[in-house]
Amino acid sequence: MIHELKLAKPSSLDEVKRILSSENSKIIAGGTDIVPGFHIESVRFKNISSLIDINSIAELKEIKIIENEIQIGSAATFSSIVNSKIISENLPLLAKAASQIGSKQIRNRATIAGNFINNAPCADSIPPLLVYDAEILLESEKEKRRIPLAEFLVSSYKTKIQPNEILTKIIIPNRYMNFHGLFYKLGRRRGVAISRITFAVLVRLENEIVTDFKFASGAITPIGKRFHEIEKTIIGKRVNEIEVKLTSRNIGEEILNITGVRWSTTYKIPVLQQAVYQSIKKLLSGN
Amino acid sequence: MKIDLEFTLNGKNVSIETEPGKRLLDLLRKDFKLTGTKEGCSIGECGACTILLDKLAVNSCLILAGQINGSDIITIEGINEADVLHTLQQKFLEHGAVQCGFCTPGMIISAYALLLEKPDPSYEDILNALEGNLCRCTGYKQIISAVQDSAKEMMQD
Ligand code: FES
Ligand code: FES
Repeated sequence: MIHELKLAKPSSLDEVKRILSSENSKIIAGGTDIVPGFHIESVRFKNISSLIDINSIAELKEIKIIENEIQIGSAATFSSIVNSKIISENLPLLAKAASQIGSKQIRNRATIAGNFINNAPCADSIPPLLVYDAEILLESEKEKRRIPLAEFLVSSYKTKIQPNEILTKIIIPNRYMNFHGLFYKLGRRRGVAISRITFAVLVRLENEIVTDFKFASGAITPIGKRFHEIEKTIIGKRVNEIEVKLTSRNIGEEILNITGVRWSTTYKIPVLQQAVYQSIKKLLSGN
Repeated sequence: MKIDLEFTLNGKNVSIETEPGKRLLDLLRKDFKLTGTKEGCSIGECGACTILLDKLAVNSCLILAGQINGSDIITIEGINEADVLHTLQQKFLEHGAVQCGFCTPGMIISAYALLLEKPDPSYEDILNALEGNLCRCTGYKQIISAVQDSAKEMMQD
């Protein structure tokens, strides 16, 4: 049995902000995390007594290009992201990650912001959003603030959002035309698997020179993370000068430094290093 | 605190007074006595509770009653006319795609949603559409054939 709840379904963003500033409410969109959490009486949600459903607010569902940025409404579902031409043409790694999330039924409900708003380490949208240098827009009745996603994600299950704020948009520079990249996901089975290892790599090659390189981990680190130091060792180099094996080993070691040795380490780190090695090799060869 | 809901259920306008925090699955099964929609895992992994919400397949165990005001809901009870089986239902029987039957309503709704979107689905499309529906009995082969055969027949009509 789910405990006694209040649920508002406003049709404007102003109304959402007004409720958030006057009472202790939580936002619900797809509900794919919250509803089963309520049902099993998870401690994560047991203090929530008032919800605001944001599915009726059209502007939070939109995906559009404004000047040289792509704006994704926080309540855009993964199905709408998979079906969006704007996303598949300009942010293919995000399209790929979205298409592999949950099942059809989950993708039809689950939303992009809902995927990472709790900063669970297994959020598949995070590695692509990090390599694309995504920023997020937080709005309250009084204020709007725009911060990089990497800054928003503080630590496991902790972010920079304030109780009176709503995350309204994810904003990504539209400048990845000449990049190619890939999103890697290893889950325990096909379909509804929760990810064990995820990462995204994005590369720009010009005349055999790597002019940009971005790497972000997902499920394997406690929170999604870019590897700026390692990226710098590659940017500016000729393809044939890059020591891919060393780079993959360094990434594995850095992850080990962050996570420490756990029961799954002997399995995960070699798998990760191998997958990173093959991915970078493939991207450097121009594929 | 109860709220009044109005929505379309299997083509009819309905209204009910209920708790906003009740799961849609319970609303359908207990209040509307539509027990064709099944409860398996309760956490969005098995697909037994699949229904159509505004033409999309969704898990009714993951939706709260307070979220559905004004929407259009179709359950397994609403896909056929009067006493005739829907082509999908007929084909599932013909292909031996129903054994214990517990997954069947959810499977058929997922397949129904697929055929609404893509009347001529590829094999991959079918796998994709049914990936969130688990079956402990059939081994899926018969289910996939039943969907392929239904698509073929429905395109002829
Ligand atoms: S009961 Fe809803 S997905 Fe299993
Ligand atoms: S027929 Fe028994 S679970 Fe599918």
